[in-house]
Amino acid sequence: MELYIGGYAQGKLNYVLKQTGIPMDKVIDALVLAERGISEEIGIVNHFHLFVRNCLREGKSPEDLVEAIIAGNPQLIIISDEVGNGIVPMEAEEREYRERLGRILCGLAEKALKVERIICGIGQRIK
Amino acid sequence: MMVLITGGSGSGKSAYAEKASVTLAGEGTLYYLATMQVYDEEGRKKIERHQRLRAGKGFQTIEQPVNITEVAAKMEDSRKTVLLECMSNLTANEMFSFSEIKQPDEVVEKIYKGIGLLKEKTDHLLIVTNNVFEDGITYDTATTDYLQALGKINEKLAEFADVVTEVVVGIPVPVKGCPVA
Repeated sequence: MELYIGGYAQGKLNYVLKQTGIPMDKVIDALVLAERGISEEIGIVNHFHLFVRNCLREGKSPEDLVEAIIAGNPQLIIISDEVGNGIVPMEAEEREYRERLGRILCGLAEKALKVERIICGIGQRIK
Repeated sequence: MMVLITGGSGSGKSAYAEKASVTLAGEGTLYYLATMQVYDEEGRKKIERHQRLRAGKGFQTIEQPVNITEVAAKMEDSRKTVLLECMSNLTANEMFSFSEIKQPDEVVEKIYKGIGLLKEKTDHLLIVTNNVFEDGITYDTATTDYLQALGKINEKLAEFADVVTEVVVGIPVPVKGCPVA
């Protein structure tokens, strides 16, 4: 598994497509993933943070679902926004989302063979 | 040695800071300066989580939500490593927990002085701060003043520090010098 993170609109997907050579039709959007689950041919999950947000909104445990997805797809490439670098939000739901996503990404980073952070479309390999 | 550790919410900066503190402390005494004030259940849970993380690592906890200069008198006179967590709480407490809101310059000056004194009294000082600067939202004056103060403090501390490390998804990324753990 590989993890690619960075701020909003930093060219993460473009960077990953270029680096890996994986075609666009092997990319699944996190919101579709939440509905349809994952099939064998999928190489990249984009907008992973929205998957976590959706799970929380629907009262599901994102940690359990993520674990199951990774177990079934050990080669998966995950792209996620980093959302923790701001003022702590007033709304409890928003705070919960930031914390849970942050911890999930820490867990994924630990398991990942490779972690890159993308800034202005440029990848910085941090693991 | 002085180490500044930054990162966002849920970035794993606390766990990393503890590991770095234990590494630096060796046989010396290890102190944890807790700055967070508890107002509600969420705060209590947060503190409990941090206490669980720290358990068994040999930290002696000193609660110091404001007036960091008072810490020196509460520590033993031995070799010591101090982990202060975190600067974003300390700054908020200094600014907002007195009868009137303090001016950012005053807060910056007070904290900077306090940290200078603390640094003299310790073998190793590790400070956790918080990257709260990248959400692109324009806030009210009080919050903007707070951001300005914390930004200035971070800038000064980073200049003063031997090592500055950003923690990203639990991974230490060098900003200044070489990460200690």
